[in-house]
Amino acid sequence: MQNDTQHLLEAANQIILGKSHKIRLALCCLLARGHLLIEDIPGVGKTTLAHTLAKLLGLQYQRIQFTSDILPADIIGASIFDPKNLTFTFLPGPLFKQLVLADEINRATPKAQSALLEAMEEQTISVEGKTYQLPEPFFVIATQNPSHQIGTFPLPESQLDRFLMRLELGYPNQESERLLLQGQNRRSLINSLPVKLTPEQLLIMQNKVSEVYASNAVLDYCQAIISYTRESSDYQYGLSPRAGLALLNAAKAWAFLDKRDAVIPEDIQAVLAAVAGHRLKSGNNDSAAIVAPILAKVAVQ
Amino acid sequence: MNRAQNKNILIFLLASIGLIVLPHFEHIPNAVFAFFYLLLIWRLIGIWKQNWLPNKLCLFILTVCGLALLYSQYQGVLGRDAGTRLFIMALGLKLLEIKSERDLYVITYLAFIVAASQFLYEQSLLMAAYILFVCSALLATLICINSCKPNPVVAIKTAGLIIIQALPMAVVLFVLFPRVEAPKWMFFNEQYQAKTGLSDNMEPGSISDLGMSDELVFRVKFIGKLPPPRERYWRGPVLSYTDGKKWTQIKKLNFSHYMDKPVFNGTPYQYTLLMEPQDKHWVFALELPVEFTSPVSRNANYQLITSDTPDKRTEYNITSYPNYNTGFITRTEFKDATQLPNKPSDKITQLVKQLQGFDSTPENFITQLLTHFRKEDFHYTLTPPLMEENPIETFLFKTRYGFCSHYAAAFVYLMRVAHIPARVVTGYQGGEYNKIGHFLEIRQADAHAWAEVWLENKGWVRIDPTAAIAPERIEQNINIDQLIASGIINYVPLSENAQQTLDWLKQSQQLWHNLDYSWQRWVINYDNKHQAIFLSSICIDDLKAMLYWLAGLIGSITALLSWLLLYEKRKNILPEMQIYQYFCKKMLKHGLVKAKGEGAKDFGDRIIIEHPEKSIAIRKITDLFIKIHYGKYSTSDDLKALKQLIKHL
Repeated sequence: MQNDTQHLLEAANQIILGKSHKIRLALCCLLARGHLLIEDIPGVGKTTLAHTLAKLLGLQYQRIQFTSDILPADIIGASIFDPKNLTFTFLPGPLFKQLVLADEINRATPKAQSALLEAMEEQTISVEGKTYQLPEPFFVIATQNPSHQIGTFPLPESQLDRFLMRLELGYPNQESERLLLQGQNRRSLINSLPVKLTPEQLLIMQNKVSEVYASNAVLDYCQAIISYTRESSDYQYGLSPRAGLALLNAAKAWAFLDKRDAVIPEDIQAVLAAVAGHRLKSGNNDSAAIVAPILAKVAVQ
Repeated sequence: MNRAQNKNILIFLLASIGLIVLPHFEHIPNAVFAFFYLLLIWRLIGIWKQNWLPNKLCLFILTVCGLALLYSQYQGVLGRDAGTRLFIMALGLKLLEIKSERDLYVITYLAFIVAASQFLYEQSLLMAAYILFVCSALLATLICINSCKPNPVVAIKTAGLIIIQALPMAVVLFVLFPRVEAPKWMFFNEQYQAKTGLSDNMEPGSISDLGMSDELVFRVKFIGKLPPPRERYWRGPVLSYTDGKKWTQIKKLNFSHYMDKPVFNGTPYQYTLLMEPQDKHWVFALELPVEFTSPVSRNANYQLITSDTPDKRTEYNITSYPNYNTGFITRTEFKDATQLPNKPSDKITQLVKQLQGFDSTPENFITQLLTHFRKEDFHYTLTPPLMEENPIETFLFKTRYGFCSHYAAAFVYLMRVAHIPARVVTGYQGGEYNKIGHFLEIRQADAHAWAEVWLENKGWVRIDPTAAIAPERIEQNINIDQLIASGIINYVPLSENAQQTLDWLKQSQQLWHNLDYSWQRWVINYDNKHQAIFLSSICIDDLKAMLYWLAGLIGSITALLSWLLLYEKRKNILPEMQIYQYFCKKMLKHGLVKAKGEGAKDFGDRIIIEHPEKSIAIRKITDLFIKIHYGKYSTSDDLKALKQLIKHL
């Protein structure tokens, strides 16, 4: 089964060049049933990554471009009067898809942002007293521009916490850039991608991930990290219990991708920057720099 | 960061050491004191000017100089004084040699010793508080040395907390730990400290200014009621022999066997008397002492004498009866009490005759004489004129100014002229009542002399001629001259505010005296005897058994605590971890250190990069360890295999 994920990753690496670690993390996030936030300047391949994953996983894909005047109804749908039957019928919005790309989420007003984020947490949408179930698997990839850019509404901490991971793609390196410039148009490449995994397989994998064993030693390490963030003066506040769960789940998915049935501390370390980076407030905005003291100071159990 | 170079720590350390040596000013020679502070200031400057500090040779020369200085001031290395000076000198010299953190510790511990040595000289409450304060400063220095971000304020707070936490333990140890009597040799070269006090002779004519020392002589706490001021006569040496000028004690007091048994009546006063250190063996009891504890005995002059070391503060329990009849007089006593140096002059004989000394009863003569003192132009003063020749005659007929000794001496002399047995009794009179602690304080200024006359059927009777002249001296215990001299009494009427302030001052002074009394009584005086009494009051009779129990208890608690601490650690270390740590130790020999936050897999990968030839074994070990430590399924065989693999590595 892990071979399938291997193939998937290889195919994705053909599209997004030189970002294999980030792609792996993105897949890991998906396997851990979490949502992904990609933060970077425009044009480094955020949308391409989301599109590629959707295509390879054979998921229904919908992109919502967030703007400052988008309304909740534009995302979740609205009830519309049907003149034939003289009733209101609910017209599902773009959110009713398996993989939703919320592009430039921080350009929307907080009201629109929260409509999306509530759906993410509950996996259901309540409109006018009726509850609608979102499809399975349900996966949101949100992209955001760095908050210092003009026309952005930064996501509050409470909403950032809903994203399992935050990734920064960064510029490609010299070689990848050259390959990119030489190669074909990405969009047509994506369109020609084969489906590598069915949604059913993905669901099975997600179940398998939660079965990955975490020993006491790993849990000790995990707790040591959490308490370090709470006690250290490096951070304004520590990791929440939800963050702890997220960290462990992501580590399990990482171990699964590594073809192991048990989590080892290296798994936690591999996902720590992506999972904890946006949940900790420190002077630095770079995830890797934020978690560097944790990796250095918390002893591996 | 090198703590030995940290400016904050150094300043803090130097400041606290400067404070510690300060009270030693009184006991160490000025030269040593100055030398020490010179070194301290040198070191202080050295904080900013590193290259001004002495090098090894210079330091050696300084040490030799210091030792020479010590030797010049004091010949020898034994004893309290020499030891203290040596420690202070060593502390000063060590200050110039701070190179590493270890030196800081050495200095701090030395400073603790110097601080404690202060108690060899002075044990007052104030000094104890001061030492406690400087010790907390030292403790704060230790805390600073051991903290990442030295912050004096935080450190002082922590030090205070530590000292407060340690106090209960200190109290328990103080109460239970056997009191070790300091060996005598420790003090053998102590300079004899002259103490002013009552002397064993009296020469009123040669004194023109009675020094009024405020020094404490003893304190008395009464069980039950307090005697009125006119009964507060604290009996000291009895002076019977006179050469006309000087009055001295009779050395031979071996006639006590022939003496009558005194009869006591009236209500007794029961009290505890705390004598300050003195150089005589006298205990000043209220007239007349009847019951007293063992080291004290009553001599033929009804004076209490202790066989204990007088240079120690000691407590005595005494019962006295204010009303007594000493019965008949022995022949020796009579001879001593009527002794006159030579034939009295005509003037004196004339006076005695005039006062009916030869032809009426002794009682009548006493009354006549006292009336004479009162009626004629006699004055009480503490600054009498000198009376070198024939002091008694000069006093009686010329100057007529004098204090208690003059009156007592003149009175006794005249009694003896009339052939009535009389003698001078010296001691203390009165005492200040401390309202807060309910005890009497008797100071040197309360020293007094009075007369004692033997009367038929009454025995020895106390007559105080001073009372006839200056009754306020006796009744109210107010020494007017002294009060004027010390400025407490002013002829300008006091305003209400000033009076209030004075009252307040008086009250706070009494409160302080009370505190000091309790401190001396309960802390300084807590010796083996008191400990035994206290312990038996809480049902611990066998000190030795208690010691064994105490040692056993402390030992077992320590053992339990250390076992708990170690067990906690052991419990956390799993067998595979122990083996893996052994593996890490092996890798250390190859110069590979496992980082704190490095997992086994990463570490294994790193080893393989460095030592590719061992890749198979390393990979096996790492995988096996991961399987055992993190995996779900592992068997005891895995552990054995891991052990084997690491062993053969």
